[in-house]
Amino acid sequence: MTDASPAALPSGSGSREHHMPRRKIDPIPAGAVPVMEAVNISKAFGATTALVDVSLRAYAGRVLALLGDNGAGKSTLIKILCGVFPPDRGELRFQGEPVRFTNPAQARGLGIATVFQDLAVCELLSVTRNVVLGREPQKGFGPFKWLDIKRADEMARSALLKLGVRWERGLDERGVNISGGERQSLAIARAMFFGSSLLVLDEPTSALAVRQAGKVLDHILQARDSGQAVILITHNFRHALSVADDLTVLAQGKVAAHFRRDEIDLDELTDLVARIA
Amino acid sequence: MADAPSTQAVAAARPSLGVVAGETMRRLLLRPEATSVAALVILFCVFSYLSPELFPAKLTYISITSFAAELGIVSIGVTMLMIGGHFDLSVGAVLGLTSYFATVLMRDAGWPPIFAAPAAVLVGAGLGAINGALVVAFRIHSFVVTLGTMLIWRGVVIALTGGFPITVDIPSVFRDVMSGTLIFGFRMSVVWFFAIGAAGTLLLGRTRVGNWIQARGQNEQAARNLGVPVNRVTIFLFMLTSALAAMAGVIQVARFASVDALRGQDMELQAVAVTVIGGTLLSGGYGSVIGTVLGAITFGMIQVGLVLAHAPGHYFRTLTGFIVVAAVILNTSVARRMARSRPLAGFRRGNVETDAALAGEALADNEAGQPTADAARGSP
Repeated sequence: MTDASPAALPSGSGSREHHMPRRKIDPIPAGAVPVMEAVNISKAFGATTALVDVSLRAYAGRVLALLGDNGAGKSTLIKILCGVFPPDRGELRFQGEPVRFTNPAQARGLGIATVFQDLAVCELLSVTRNVVLGREPQKGFGPFKWLDIKRADEMARSALLKLGVRWERGLDERGVNISGGERQSLAIARAMFFGSSLLVLDEPTSALAVRQAGKVLDHILQARDSGQAVILITHNFRHALSVADDLTVLAQGKVAAHFRRDEIDLDELTDLVARIA
Repeated sequence: MADAPSTQAVAAARPSLGVVAGETMRRLLLRPEATSVAALVILFCVFSYLSPELFPAKLTYISITSFAAELGIVSIGVTMLMIGGHFDLSVGAVLGLTSYFATVLMRDAGWPPIFAAPAAVLVGAGLGAINGALVVAFRIHSFVVTLGTMLIWRGVVIALTGGFPITVDIPSVFRDVMSGTLIFGFRMSVVWFFAIGAAGTLLLGRTRVGNWIQARGQNEQAARNLGVPVNRVTIFLFMLTSALAAMAGVIQVARFASVDALRGQDMELQAVAVTVIGGTLLSGGYGSVIGTVLGAITFGMIQVGLVLAHAPGHYFRTLTGFIVVAAVILNTSVARRMARSRPLAGFRRGNVETDAALAGEALADNEAGQPTADAARGSP
């Protein structure tokens, strides 16, 4: 690596630009309403302050990368965005309207889909059952409703197809038998298929091999192109720079910096994070 | 199919008979019921050898199924609860308390059994709701919660009965419907047992709630994040478990025309043993109601078989213990076995073709192009 950047950074999308120079992006259209906006969010757990006055905006068709060290407050922020717990102070706005979630189901109802770090795959359920979990298609009448297994299979197949995943193995394959990359594909396919407006991904590439990570990044671009707002939480600067339109750096529970992708390259980002962390 | 390449492709896509048989066997062995089927077959051979005159006889089967039915109904609830990731040690005490309730309703309040029996089952569901609500509200492990409620409800039964048996006149129609020897000498409780087993199997495998129960047992956080109402599923499971215990209690009241302070004692652990023999994982997430039905029959077979083989009474516990331990060892490796076990050659493509092959259907007649390409790529 003749690269000036720290060699410790794993390079996820190897075939992309080496130095990750500034990339031209379209500006945010004037008057666009963010799909999700957090305004001056604060959160403390007992004596520990997790977030102080954090604000961010996620727009349709754009990828917002959320960077920061362990303990910077990324996970807390994500959990607030998807309704796991409410903020102590501050406001969430969804499509411009103030919202207050008391549980994740409400956030999901609005089309906020989250792909969590723990992969959210049930190991002994089939691929189909994992994809439709929580939204199983039913048939029948009155109180007698059965799983529509044929339709569930169709849903799973078209979800994976929509994502461009060629699923070589059966849809009856159980969760234990599919790889980490396939699990992420499955989770993203699930989020995209059910027509979400905001896709939140918590460290989707951290447990993956290089090629699989590249695939997941492609999926993120696909979700963006299909008009979803995407928030990507990651440790990996290269992954962030290769797909993000906007970048927010969190440090000690505060927004330490915010950039558009055309304002920063890999070296600058690395320097900056080294300075503030 | 006239041209050579297409015929070849079909031949390549369709595995030989031996491979189909092998693949069928592999899939059967990965089913949770495999443990109990093996136990049943082995025990049947052993007991038939030990008492060749008595064991393979109709009366024996009647005894086995009668014993299996009541314990089995309790175990079906315990199984679904365990698949959902919880334990219920209070089922025996719930059975005792609801039996007492049904008896008192019929004897003292003069209710006809047709109202008293459903009332007892409803009370059972209510007791289960208490278990479920405690587990959900305080996030305490269900093992501890139900240990507590077991002691409480057993204490209540002992206090209410004063320790003495209470008898009640049961109309013969009610006794016949619940537990009479109506079908070629087999008890009606066996019909209830199989009907509940079938309903449980459908609930678990063919409904949305069934999918949620399995997901709850495997990865609670994932299920919650995906919008599964995990708390409601948990409370529902506890209600179902206790209601089934009450159902078994009603059957026993109809059979004995009495209730006593220790009714249902030890059943909570026997039900766990039956569930485990039936192939359900102690850690939850995976299991089978059919396995539990077979497990209950296994349990009955040990009980009756040992008597017929003139074995001393304590052998029952010892042999049951061995079988439970063996079953647990087999079951816990199920996830490992699944991960390791690969489909045999010829079954590495999509499930549509595989299923068609297993069903013995001709492949690829309608879609010659697609499977040909797949076959070419798939075959090593």
